[in-house]
Amino acid sequence: MRRAGPALLLVGLALAPWGLARDLATALLFTFLLVILASNYDLLGGYLGLYNLGQASFFGLGAYTTFLLLLRIPALAHLGPVAAVLTVLLGGVVAAMSAGLVAYPLLRLREASFAVGTFGLLLLLRLLVDNLPGLTGGSHGLYVPAQHYLSLRAAYWLLLGLAAGSVAMNWIVGRGRLGLAMLAIRESEAAAAAVGIDRFRVQQIAFVLGAFPTGLAGGVFGLHTGYIDVSVVLGIERSLLPVIAAMLGGSGTLWGPVLGSAILRGIDVALKNYLRLPIPATALYGAVLVLIALRMPQGILAHVRLRRAPRAAPARAPLSRPGHVEDVP
Amino acid sequence: MELQVLIELVVGGVVLGGLYALMAFAFSLVLATTHVLNVAHGAFMVLGAALSTLLVRHLHLPLAAGLGAVFGVFLVVGWVFESTLIRPLTGRPPAQVLVGSILATFGLAIAAEALVGFYWARAIEPQPIFALELGIRSIRIGSLVISGPRALVLAFSVLAIGLLHLFLTRTRLGKEARAVAQNPVGALVIGIEPARVARTVLTLSVASSALAGAFFVVAIPLNPYDGLRLTMVAFTVAAAGGIGNLPGALGAGVGLGIAEVLTGYWAGPVWSPVTYLLLLFAALLARPAELLRRLPR
Repeated sequence: MRRAGPALLLVGLALAPWGLARDLATALLFTFLLVILASNYDLLGGYLGLYNLGQASFFGLGAYTTFLLLLRIPALAHLGPVAAVLTVLLGGVVAAMSAGLVAYPLLRLREASFAVGTFGLLLLLRLLVDNLPGLTGGSHGLYVPAQHYLSLRAAYWLLLGLAAGSVAMNWIVGRGRLGLAMLAIRESEAAAAAVGIDRFRVQQIAFVLGAFPTGLAGGVFGLHTGYIDVSVVLGIERSLLPVIAAMLGGSGTLWGPVLGSAILRGIDVALKNYLRLPIPATALYGAVLVLIALRMPQGILAHVRLRRAPRAAPARAPLSRPGHVEDVP
Repeated sequence: MELQVLIELVVGGVVLGGLYALMAFAFSLVLATTHVLNVAHGAFMVLGAALSTLLVRHLHLPLAAGLGAVFGVFLVVGWVFESTLIRPLTGRPPAQVLVGSILATFGLAIAAEALVGFYWARAIEPQPIFALELGIRSIRIGSLVISGPRALVLAFSVLAIGLLHLFLTRTRLGKEARAVAQNPVGALVIGIEPARVARTVLTLSVASSALAGAFFVVAIPLNPYDGLRLTMVAFTVAAAGGIGNLPGALGAGVGLGIAEVLTGYWAGPVWSPVTYLLLLFAALLARPAELLRRLPR
C-alpha cells in the first residue's frame, strides 16, 4: 500500500488534464514546477544542510540556454520538435555543468556564508542578463519561435514527469551510499572525513544532481510561456519559494518539499481566484516563513511525527525515511 | 578626465560610502552581539525612507519633525521586532539562532516590501519611488562644489558614526554590548544580561537603519523592493571590513562607495552594482569562516 500510493497519485495526475478546467491544470503545472525546484533544492538543503538561495540561477540558465540556441542557430528550425527536445536537454546540461563549476568557490563557504554566496550569484546572473541586451534581449526579454511553442498539456506532462523524477531521484539518493555519505557530512564533517568520505566531491555531486532537473524545467517552462526575461525565470521569488516550500513541508524528508509546494500553490490559487483579498501573495509567503522559523523549524511532516510519537522522535531533523541503515555495506 | 570631475565623483563616493559604513556597522554589531543575521536590515531602511517620504513630501511636515518621527516610530517598531521575532529564538544553540533569524527576518523583509509596494502603488502613486527633494544650497570650497543634500547626508553619516562610537566606548550599555560580542560566556560570568543587550542593540539598529534610509533618499531615490539589495550591501561591507569592526566597516564602505561611483561613471550606472557583488565574493572567499568565528560551537 505504501508503494501503491505514489503510483496512484502519479497516474491520477497524469490523467487529470482530460477532466480539469484549463486554469486548474495551469495551477497544477505551477505546483509541479515548484515541486521540482523544492525537491532539487532539498537535495542540498535537507540532506546536506546547505541552504542554496540561488536555485533559480539553474532554472534561468536552462531557460536562457534553450531560448538562445533556438533563436541563434537557424539550422535548428528544420529539426522541428527534435530541436526543442535537444535544446531543453542542453539547457539542463549547461545548468548542471555550471553547478559543477560554481561548486568550486561556493563549497568553500559554510552555512550563512553559503546562503549569501548563492544568493549573490543569482543577483550577479540577473545583473548580467539585464545588462547584456545584445546577447540576452535584456529587459525586453526573448520570445520563442512559434513552431517550438509547447501546449499546456505537453508542458503539464513534461513537468509532471520532471517532478516525479526529482522526487524519485531524492528517494534513490537517500537510499544509497551517496545519501548516507550526505547525512554523515551533515551530522559531522570531521567524523565523515574520518571514515574516508570526500566532502567536496559528495557535495559537488549533489549540487550537479540538483541543478539538472531544474535546468530542464527552465527550458520546458520557457517554451510553454513563450517569453522569458529576468523576472520570469530568474526572479527572487522563484529562488526563495522552493526554500520556503521545502522547509514548510519538512526539509530532509522525501515528501516534505511536495507537501510544502502544494500548500504554497494552494494559498496562491485561493488568494487569487477565490478569496480576492487585497493582499499580495508574497506577504503571505513571508508570513509562512516567519511561522516556520519561530514555530516549527523542522516543517510540518516532522511536526506531525513529533506530536504522534514524542518519545521515538529523533533529536535532530528526521532522516529521509527509516530503513536506510540497512544499506550500510 | 578632468581633475574637477574626478574630485566630484570621489566626493559622491564618500557620501555613499559613509551611509554604507553606517548600515554595515549597525548590521554587524547585531550579528556579533546576538548571532542574528538581520535580512530585514535593508527593509527597515526602505520603510524609514517610505515613512519620511510620506510625512515630508506628501503630508508636508517640516524636515526635522519628519525625521524625528521616523526615529521615534522605528524605536517602537524595533522593540516590537525584537520581542516578537527575535526573542523566541533565544535559547537555541547559536548556529540555530543564526539560521532561524535568517528565515524569520527574510520572511519579514519580503512581506514588508510586498505590502509597502502594493499599498503605496494603490493609495499614493502607481510607480512607488521614495525620495526627498530638499532645497538646500550648494557648498562651495574653492573651486569645488558640493551639492547641499550630499553635504547634509555626509554630515549625518559622520555624526551617526561618531555617536555610535561614543555609545560603544563611553556608555555602560555600549561597553556591555562589546563585551558580549568579544566573549559571550565571559560577559555572562561578570553579570551582563545578554537579553538586555540584545534588546538595546536590535532596537537601536532598527531605528538607526530607518533614519539612515530617510537620509539615503535625500541623495539617492529608493523603490520598495530595494531592501534586499541594501541588506546585501550591508552584509558585503561588514564581511569585507570584519564583523563588529568599526574602522574596517568605514574603510570598506567608503572604498565600495567610491568604486561604485567610478564604475558607474566609466561603464554606465547599470554596472555599478557589480562592484559590491565582486567585493562580496572576494570577502566571502578570502575569509569563509568570518561569520562562524564569532559563534561558540
